[in-house]
Amino acid sequence: MQKRADSSFAAREVVGQPSGERTAFLKNRYLEAPLMLDIEYIRHLTESHQGTDGMEILERRAENHAHALERLTPVIHARDRIVGNKTRFIRGAVPYANYAAGPFLREMRQQEQDAQQKHIDQGRGGGIAEALKTARAKGYEVFSGKFLVSPEDGREFRAICEYWEDKCFMEVGDRLWKREFPQAQLIQDGWTIGLYSAPHDPCPEGRLVLDFEMALAKGYEAILAEIEEKIAGLRPGAIAEADKLHFWRAARRVLQGALAHAARYAEEAERLAREEKDPSRKAELEAIAAACRRVPAKPPRNFREAIQSYWFTYVLGHLEGSHLGYSPGRLDRTLLPYFEADPRITFDEAVELFEELFVKMTQIEYIASLSWQGLGHGNLFQNCILGGVDGGGKPADNRLSLAILQAQINMQMTQPTLSVWYDESSSEAFLLKAAECVKTGVGYPAFFNQKTYVEHERKTSGLPLEVIREHAAMGGCTEPVLGGLSYGVVQPGFVNHGKLLDLVLADGLDPNTGLRLFEPREPGSYVEIVESYRDKMHQAVRAWQQYWNYVMAAHRQTVPLMFCSVFVRDCLGRGACMDDGGAILNQTPTTLSSGLVNVANSLAAIRQLCFEEGACSYAELKKAVAADWQGYDGLRRLALDAPKWGNDDDRVDGIFLDLFADYCAWVRGQDNYLGKPYDPSMLAISTPVPFGKACAAHPDGRLAGQPLADGVTSPFPGTDIDGPTAVIRSSSKVDHTQIRGGLLNLKFHPTALTGERGSRNLLALIKTYFEKPGFHVQFNVVDSDMLRDAQARPELYRDLVVRVAGFSAYWVEMSKPLQDQVIGRTEHCL
Amino acid sequence: MKVGGAQPPLSSSPKGRIFDIQHYAVHDGPGIRTLVFLKGCPLACAWCANPESRRSDREVRQILARCRSCLRCAGACPSGAIAETEGRPRLDRRRCAMCGGFECVAACPEHALIIAGEEWSLDDLIARVAKDIDFYRNSGGGVTFSGGEPFAQAEFLLAALAGCKRLGIPTAVETCGQAARADILAAEPLVDLFLFDFKVVDSARHRKLTGADNGVILDNLRFLADRAPGKIVLRLPVVPGLTDDENNIGAIAALAAELRVARVELCPYHPLGRPKYAEIGLPEPPDPPQPLPAELLRIAGVLETRGIRCGPA
Repeated sequence: MQKRADSSFAAREVVGQPSGERTAFLKNRYLEAPLMLDIEYIRHLTESHQGTDGMEILERRAENHAHALERLTPVIHARDRIVGNKTRFIRGAVPYANYAAGPFLREMRQQEQDAQQKHIDQGRGGGIAEALKTARAKGYEVFSGKFLVSPEDGREFRAICEYWEDKCFMEVGDRLWKREFPQAQLIQDGWTIGLYSAPHDPCPEGRLVLDFEMALAKGYEAILAEIEEKIAGLRPGAIAEADKLHFWRAARRVLQGALAHAARYAEEAERLAREEKDPSRKAELEAIAAACRRVPAKPPRNFREAIQSYWFTYVLGHLEGSHLGYSPGRLDRTLLPYFEADPRITFDEAVELFEELFVKMTQIEYIASLSWQGLGHGNLFQNCILGGVDGGGKPADNRLSLAILQAQINMQMTQPTLSVWYDESSSEAFLLKAAECVKTGVGYPAFFNQKTYVEHERKTSGLPLEVIREHAAMGGCTEPVLGGLSYGVVQPGFVNHGKLLDLVLADGLDPNTGLRLFEPREPGSYVEIVESYRDKMHQAVRAWQQYWNYVMAAHRQTVPLMFCSVFVRDCLGRGACMDDGGAILNQTPTTLSSGLVNVANSLAAIRQLCFEEGACSYAELKKAVAADWQGYDGLRRLALDAPKWGNDDDRVDGIFLDLFADYCAWVRGQDNYLGKPYDPSMLAISTPVPFGKACAAHPDGRLAGQPLADGVTSPFPGTDIDGPTAVIRSSSKVDHTQIRGGLLNLKFHPTALTGERGSRNLLALIKTYFEKPGFHVQFNVVDSDMLRDAQARPELYRDLVVRVAGFSAYWVEMSKPLQDQVIGRTEHCL
Repeated sequence: MKVGGAQPPLSSSPKGRIFDIQHYAVHDGPGIRTLVFLKGCPLACAWCANPESRRSDREVRQILARCRSCLRCAGACPSGAIAETEGRPRLDRRRCAMCGGFECVAACPEHALIIAGEEWSLDDLIARVAKDIDFYRNSGGGVTFSGGEPFAQAEFLLAALAGCKRLGIPTAVETCGQAARADILAAEPLVDLFLFDFKVVDSARHRKLTGADNGVILDNLRFLADRAPGKIVLRLPVVPGLTDDENNIGAIAALAAELRVARVELCPYHPLGRPKYAEIGLPEPPDPPQPLPAELLRIAGVLETRGIRCGPA
């Protein structure tokens, strides 16, 4: 990068290259590919749905998915050795009209009325630019601002959406909650004003890790045999007992479909091999055919087959649902037995295979409502977590942990996001390799404290320590789950704390739209202001949780995940899908929020200015904020100088801790749709940008429309003036065991981390934070001047990847406001 | 951390004058460190990057890039030292009474006027640096006292070093060596590492470039090297045309070899401190070029052929 860019920038110390010519080709092919819409899966699924009216829902879902799997075109791209993917294209998305047809139809009818959209910015460069270029050249239509679709497919897709319009998950859910639910108006007004993130129905699932170990070790044929035994042994008593038959028959059907799918790939590989002239490619195609004849039906015989088997299960589970955060699990552990048992595979060959695998994962795109695409910036949050400890507490990092890190150092793909389960017993070689990867500037791996999560899960689930340690995985951005044992974190989206603050300051009215969401309440003292805030937060959160419980009831009626349920224990044993509580752990659903740091900073400013120093009255401060500080320069300076989170200053940290504790306790007061308490979580993805755009000015000196603080405990950009150790001291005051998933962003100038000495200092920083104990920290290691140059000259930075939130993204495909936010994070350089 | 960000609380223990405190410093001694910058320096090096460190008393820094010309400072100054010139406030330092109240600083809504040098009590300073004690422990880091010249506030420095040691915090002192022998003697047992800045061997040239000859400095260096050579890292500012000629590098290499210092660190000249001259009312000195990487490699080569460990700061 530096060779092409201005030499006055500090170089990123580690600049990787694909390990071989093949993966360099695959990466380039990816970077040059346009984004495509692929309607093949939804076409076959719809066709099957039309012919299965009246069938029990689990069996119907299995039949529909299997029907599609048996008909999808097997596509083996040039030079690929791992085959299969969600679409036929290099970069493709499946439009899940069965989840939410409405947003697609509204867009096709050119009347996208999503009120959220005005807060959302999308990127314009990279593969998005390629799509627009190709569209112009070939007469394709552009869908959702960035996906290409041929005119014929576009017409067919419209008919498919019309079929689903009144049957899809979103519509069934809306019919359930919009009429009788007393808080329905609050939810809808909340969407209008930016109090809540957009409806999550188009992409509700994910944050899910399947039991890949079981899939590989047993093979589908053995699982099918077990199902036959269960069916044969069923002696029903109560109705629920007889219902198990539906589940098992559905499980059988969906696995049969998967086997047929693999067989189609074997046939295609055999066909291509027959036609292939180049002997080395011919041999590769024969190996692909042999692998697809063997797996996933039977256990793999070598490392290559293990990766292929893993990938089939991964993709077919991914294809079934409209997932965000569907994750690879602890890949270094899952594949280790096959690596160790294969005498022919070398470390370098393993690295190259992982490079190929990561290109495959990055090729998966998703299409949802524009608002959600803006929030995730196209990232699918596939999070691969490495290292940590095993069930017995022994360090689990191994040679494949190093191979996986090396593969991403070489490739720097945006997917999967790599993470590290940190434990003080983790090997030095592993941690130094992780630090090396951080220094590429891609922003991963993020570091997670496994002990903190284990304690959280012990408190919430009561499961044995050994089980939690053994299965601790990451599902999505920063949400830990138990791989293969838990239903994914299916949550409604985010509550905007910043907007709640607007509503406090404007006495229940939204200052932008004039909509009244809460009764007027004019607080006269600091304590009353805090009370007003808590009251609104309580109402907004409770309504949000209850609304989502309605929606998930509709999920059970329309799109329960059958294939995935087969690979989550103990659905098979219990004869129940995940929606019916078949998983071992049902406490993963979270209530998410974003922007609490801004509220704490603002309350600290209100207390200091209006009730301690008497710089102004509360009424005057409200006026200044309503005027977006225009004409209040002096007062704004005092507000900016008031205590800010991230400087180890108890005057504001104490406020944050109180708000945080209150939020956590309140969230737990409501049961989720599986009958367990909701789990509090705070992370942010890209919400600080659209949420901030929706917010008026705040008493902390923030201007209207400026992004909010990112993450959970990240300081507001530019307000952490005492360095990264003070940020960590503030952040470590939080009890991270209270929440499922937290987030702290730190940005370093490359010179602060130079050499092995720089790596060791970084690791010492992480160790110190995790002793306190923190939960998560991630790093951007880039020169802000380089990022500014990348804004001005994007053509030179096509492959620049930076950390955004729980994910990394290609710089050129990010929106301008999000780019500005990453630049604005305080850069620690000494 | 921004200059002027070190806001001291009030307390009654011994006082020192500090113009900056930086956390997570990683280039001035091992591990993760806190850097404490003490104000006042007996030298005035031609390449100085911290000109606000020279005077021992507090002074006003005027950062015009932040100024939005509201002229509130002019109205606030009791001595009439700030007047409008072409719409901008101009500070006449001859008229500034250094009133101690710094009314102008308090009046500025943009922090375009800040104070260089805050009074810190010993207790408050120790409490501040102790906040990062876990980071020091895990990284092999500690506290580095820099300046200015820390020995210019020798009494406070010694008390601060002792305060760190009482808490088990490793210490380093960056010094130019222009200090009283008795103070260096008293400090030595309390200091784990001396970052000893040594510029020019030829005394007449030293005087020309820094304002003082190097007799005391060399004596102190030899004295210290005699007692604890392993604690000394010799730091050489590499300023093209001023300190990097063959004679000087050769002489420094000979000195480092003779004294058996732990290692030599090369500190390449950078122009980042130059805007600060105008901010405190000093004329900007001539701007030497920055050394090229090849130049640094050449110097390191000369040192290493003498068997001296050498590296970047």
